Amino acid sequence: MATYIIKRLFQFIPVLLGISILVFFLLHLIPGDPALTLLGQDASKEDLARLRNVLGLNEPLWIQLFVFLKNLLQGDLGNSIFQDVPVLNLIFDHLPATLELALLSLIIALIISIPLGILSAVKQFSWLDYSSMFFAQLGISMPVFWMGLLLIIGFSVNLNVLPSFGRGDPIFEATIDTIQTGNLYFIIDSFKHLLLPAFTLGLMSAALITRMVRSAMLEVLKEDYVRTAEAKGVKGYIIILKHVFRNALIPVVTIVGLQFGNLLGGAIVTETVFGWPGIGRLVITAISQRDFPVVQGCVLIIALLFALINLVVDILYAIINPKIQHV
Amino acid sequence: MKGERELKNKRRLSWIIVVALLSAIMLTGCSYSKPSSGTSNSSSSKESSSKKDEIKVGLDVDAGTMDPRLSSDTSSKRVSELAYDGLIRLSDNLEAEPSLATKWDNPNPTTWIFTLRKNVNFQDGTPFTAEDVKYTFDTLLDPNLKAPSAILYEPIKSVDVVNKYQVKFTLKQPYAALLSYLDIGIVPKHIGEKNDKSLANHPIGTGPYKLVKWSKNNKIAFEANPKYWGGAPKTKKITYYIIPDNTTRVASLESGDVDLVHSPVSPQDISRIKQNDKLKVVETQGLGFTYLNFNVKNKILSEVKIRQALSNLVNKDVISSKIYKGMDKPGKSPLIPASWAYTDNVPTFDYDVKRAKALFKEAGWQDSDGDGVLDQNGKKLKFTLSTHSEDPNRVQTVEYLQNEFTKAGIETKVTTNEWPTFSASLTEGKFDIALVGWLNLVDPDRAMYNQFHTDGGGNYGKYSNRQVDVLLEKGRTALSQAERIKVYQKAASIVTEEAPYDVLLYQGYIAMYNKNLIGFKPYPSGSFYRLKDAEIAE
Repeated sequence: MATYIIKRLFQFIPVLLGISILVFFLLHLIPGDPALTLLGQDASKEDLARLRNVLGLNEPLWIQLFVFLKNLLQGDLGNSIFQDVPVLNLIFDHLPATLELALLSLIIALIISIPLGILSAVKQFSWLDYSSMFFAQLGISMPVFWMGLLLIIGFSVNLNVLPSFGRGDPIFEATIDTIQTGNLYFIIDSFKHLLLPAFTLGLMSAALITRMVRSAMLEVLKEDYVRTAEAKGVKGYIIILKHVFRNALIPVVTIVGLQFGNLLGGAIVTETVFGWPGIGRLVITAISQRDFPVVQGCVLIIALLFALINLVVDILYAIINPKIQHV
Repeated sequence: MKGERELKNKRRLSWIIVVALLSAIMLTGCSYSKPSSGTSNSSSSKESSSKKDEIKVGLDVDAGTMDPRLSSDTSSKRVSELAYDGLIRLSDNLEAEPSLATKWDNPNPTTWIFTLRKNVNFQDGTPFTAEDVKYTFDTLLDPNLKAPSAILYEPIKSVDVVNKYQVKFTLKQPYAALLSYLDIGIVPKHIGEKNDKSLANHPIGTGPYKLVKWSKNNKIAFEANPKYWGGAPKTKKITYYIIPDNTTRVASLESGDVDLVHSPVSPQDISRIKQNDKLKVVETQGLGFTYLNFNVKNKILSEVKIRQALSNLVNKDVISSKIYKGMDKPGKSPLIPASWAYTDNVPTFDYDVKRAKALFKEAGWQDSDGDGVLDQNGKKLKFTLSTHSEDPNRVQTVEYLQNEFTKAGIETKVTTNEWPTFSASLTEGKFDIALVGWLNLVDPDRAMYNQFHTDGGGNYGKYSNRQVDVLLEKGRTALSQAERIKVYQKAASIVTEEAPYDVLLYQGYIAMYNKNLIGFKPYPSGSFYRLKDAEIAE
């Protein structure tokens, strides 16, 4: 297993390199110029030219790429053009917020989807099945920003029980504060801020995972060994949880892994609606300012996380089904 | 059997953990209470029970920097105005009022002498002197700093210290607009000189509030500077929350999560908030206008009659009342109502389709083949209308205009791109008719020189008129306001008549706030400086 993991980690290198180069060219392909966005509409031509020179934008593209890759290999993602601080600092400022949000969304998604998926498979074609599939359809098709706004109007404006935007103290800090002071306010406040965006984001994943659990369960339910277990007189819930669910887990784990990756990189809309200071906001602002180093850095980190999640998913396969062996 | 026992053991273990955790929490004597403000003077929150000690403001975009010399976005400017003072401050009608400078003299057209306020300290306790003023402007003009607003100060030849409380500005040529731009924050020399860029994140100014914590893209917390030379601010804390979505921001005001939000807001939210008896909407004239820019480099658009005809096809009242819901008012000329140079007396193009058609005909364009599109020598009359996609009102306006133009027989295409793409094509002159705006027009020079002078950097459509050039140069050098008013009104009249621009709207500035917020009056610039005199009654 260890050699497998090391081998996989080495495979990351060409993938990440490929992504970096692709993003580099895509960014330079789209029109727009950081110097112009930085200096504004009424900048003089001389000032623009001078700034482009300082930023190295006048160099041929391949030299810019070479400089970028050389710095990258030294672990240097460069400085933000707009904020003039190292890109890594910006990423470290924003990544925990996104991780927090993605993790809670995933937990919410799993809490909703696994029981719902199991139930609708076991009670196929019942009202429960139909209503959970209706919910799944709704969750998949409802635009995230609209869902978010509805929740804000409902829970913040009308009921006034949850904050409408923003992040409280980071969960980790809030937990420490609560333990130190014995005041539950910190951790509850932090959770209150998390709840609406996490629910908004989690609902769509929940819908997808519910469908996946249901179809995987249905497939396994038809297997001969399930009938054998029934014939042997094994209790219903043990058949469902031990025999069926465990075997249905493989495709579910795959989609959960993919969803988690999506939650990390694709929470841009949710982060914007709820004013959540995560990496999605960082990258979208950077794109609109053509802050090349920040976009490149963020994409690289998101890609790295995605690759790591995939690795974890593959390792989980072997744990769920010992017949799968990684060499 | 073995498996079952294992399962039971596992279950038992998890129960033990849960119970242990719960009892740990109980034993530590957990409570639930909102902690008093974490700042040093939190004890005083009790003594003033009639008011809250924090004003919460919802902001659309995070500040890019806290160094006033480097700010290029409105958020940076508005937020950092709490921490810094400029030499002057602009009044509601954009006239200079004393701030760090108590008075100024103009012994000759190229010399300005400022007398500085005494006994003013920076927030770190260091006294403010003429050296700091010199340092601020010297660095601002230094290309190495990459200051976005350097172009405004370009006519300054040198800034010299006369004595500890007097500075002399020497100009390359007379430059009347200079005074309007001297509201830029003065930074402390002793910190700036370290060259560690720390002012960008840790502002140290002479202003009424000092920064406590800035969590990027989330919130910016300020605390009152009790030693402020203009008197201690009324409210202890001001916190800005970054809420990018317009609808969420207004919802946060309705839910009471923030006390104040302001432009940009969605027009449809305004009428709803007006009906909310807990909230107040204040509409003031802003410092910008929205306009159609006709590219004079385009052969057809180089003809005045065509530009005038197109202007006659624009129903500004409908755009203002239907699309902008009255938030922005119908415009006339580049001189905005908030300016001291404003005049109503300029040529106007009313919505008049008949007149437009007549003008097209005079210019040789008519529908000769009966296909509904005007043509000349077999060539159809067609234009592309472009704008940027971030502003839904502008997108809607170009779509509306597309309809109006098409009805009048012009084949009209619409393109909308995100700002960097759109602005790149604008500055490169690759457009026919663009819908865009200018902001922060604190002086008529800022609204006209760059835009209409033959050599102006913002003259994207390459309009050129010798008479206008002369007037705009005169406007820069004339020193009496009366003379400047005359010059700019004349220039505005010419450019409105010749229509390189059709000024569609005068931008409004909307502030919406909790009625409990007392003593706050917005500036047209959107500056938050007056929050120092505001408080929230409980």
